[in-house]
Amino acid sequence: MTRLLLIDDEEINVRVLSMSLRSDGYEVFTATSGAEGLEIFDREKPDIVITDIKMPGMDGIEVLKRVKAHDPDTEVIIITGHGDIDNAIEALKYGASDFINKPIRDEVLAIALSRAEEKVAIHKKLKAHTTELKRTVDIATRELRRKSSFQIKLIKSANDGIVATDKDFTIVIFNPAAEEIFGYTKQEAVGKLNVRNLYNEDVLSVLDTKRQPPHVTKAPPSWETEIISKNGEAIPVRFSGTALYEKHAMVGSVAFFQDLREIKRLEAELIRTERLAAIGQTVAGMAHSVKNILHGFKGGSYLVNQALKTEDTDRLKQGWGLIQRNIDQTSELVMDLLSYSKEREPQPEPCEPNAVAEEVCRLMSETARENEVKLITEPDPEIGTVMIDPHTLHGSLMNLVSNAIDACLFDESTGKDWRVTVRTALGEDRNLIIEVEDNGAGMSEAVSKKIFTSFFSTKGHRGTGLGLLVTRKNVEAHGGAIEVTSREGEGTVFTIRLPFIEKTDSE
Amino acid sequence: MSKKVLIVDDDPDVRMITASVVQDNGYTPVEAANGEEGLAKVKSEKPDLVVLDVMMPKQSGVRMFRNLKTNKKFQDIPILMLTGIARNAFLRSQKVLTEFGDKAVPEPEGYLEKPVDPEELGAAIQKFLA
Repeated sequence: MTRLLLIDDEEINVRVLSMSLRSDGYEVFTATSGAEGLEIFDREKPDIVITDIKMPGMDGIEVLKRVKAHDPDTEVIIITGHGDIDNAIEALKYGASDFINKPIRDEVLAIALSRAEEKVAIHKKLKAHTTELKRTVDIATRELRRKSSFQIKLIKSANDGIVATDKDFTIVIFNPAAEEIFGYTKQEAVGKLNVRNLYNEDVLSVLDTKRQPPHVTKAPPSWETEIISKNGEAIPVRFSGTALYEKHAMVGSVAFFQDLREIKRLEAELIRTERLAAIGQTVAGMAHSVKNILHGFKGGSYLVNQALKTEDTDRLKQGWGLIQRNIDQTSELVMDLLSYSKEREPQPEPCEPNAVAEEVCRLMSETARENEVKLITEPDPEIGTVMIDPHTLHGSLMNLVSNAIDACLFDESTGKDWRVTVRTALGEDRNLIIEVEDNGAGMSEAVSKKIFTSFFSTKGHRGTGLGLLVTRKNVEAHGGAIEVTSREGEGTVFTIRLPFIEKTDSE
Repeated sequence: MSKKVLIVDDDPDVRMITASVVQDNGYTPVEAANGEEGLAKVKSEKPDLVVLDVMMPKQSGVRMFRNLKTNKKFQDIPILMLTGIARNAFLRSQKVLTEFGDKAVPEPEGYLEKPVDPEELGAAIQKFLA
């Protein structure tokens, strides 16, 4: 129900008008002076005030001014005398919503009231809307503040070093983890350092792209690299990062660096621990080998002694041969042990894998011929010269080819044309692939699983049980891998993958 | 006709040493390179003593020992183990096989761990055959 305040110094007017308005459904308060009117206004907060303009004491204009000063949303209708146009204009100037002339006609008042009511309704809606808007803005602001402070905390407490730059590559964000990795403080970095002087070329190539790449949805690349810290230390990190775009224009860059120092240290420790465990196994295995060799020596010296007593030259030759074979086995064992325990970094140099394969086959050709094994090379002419460690390749091939010939020798099937094939090929992602295939005895699955462990040998007295172990160690030190597939009675394929070693910038 | 000693070992050098010792002690050596061949020779040559290695391709000494000791015809032939494997390890492997449902077998009559002095080997052989 709309609430009205009616002010007129003529009581009879107030009474007649208020009755008519009440019957129209309004709640009506009345006053017969401006002062009384304002008092009621303060108390009742009516939506619309209807006031006579000419009143003794406080006149209608003054009432209008005060009401508007108090609540600009209150609609004020001024009742003017007939032809009092000047006062009416002044009233409008002070914010009256309407004026009506005396004598008051009900239709005119009704129109004025309904217009005022509409305005009141609009005011109320506007106010509600404004309040809601303000509340929404408040919530959004708070949320934004919360999010931004959350993000700041997130960046600050991240384990990864986070470095963000503007489009000119000047640092704008440099979190504590980045301080830890790079050795610069935030104060030294933000606004002062340019990452062009901080990152290596590989990292910069990802960040420094003027145009947005077509595959924006692709996750940024991530790889292990090194950064140089303030004090010149090379620090291993895993880097990922991207240029930042807004409407296809590059606006900055962000890079994430995971500090790999601890991981690298643990890796090295793990390798040392594993090597210690391997030494334990090695000692046990070596004791077994040494027992067999000693047995041979004892037997050999027995034969030589007996031969000397009986002057039996054949027996002397027999005993001496036995001693020599055991000397050979001793030196083989010692050499294998040495190369197994030796820490050797692969030394990449320009190398023609096909030439190495040919050389190994030439060296083994005599042994192959003695054992009626055909040695075949199938080189991939595409390979040419690549950067790998030739000693790793040579040693591994010697081991695998001699194993393959042995596999043919141990094969007890008859009428087979034994073949050992050495293949070279270019693998994906700059890898050299070497295959050594034989059609010899083959191995059971159980044996295939054991061949890379120390002192496991299928060759009985002939093997030290270290050859493949050394090969695997060298291949892995080169960042490569060795695999075997074998079928008992059908043959075996060993596959070595050796990645080309790129020259690093620091060298 | 002197007594026969069957020598079963995959290493020809070890066979040669044992064969020389056998001969020097006045017996006749017969050789086999693995358990399978060894079992065939036991049947064909009927040796008076078997000198047996453990780690061999095809049939190992563990299995050949078991085959002889569970066969009524051959179980009385004495077996002298000559191997790099420790006696305890050999006995344990036999025990495991027995537990997995094989027949129980006695311990070998003799056990020598490599390296063995040929004189000691000769004395052991003598003990069984003299």
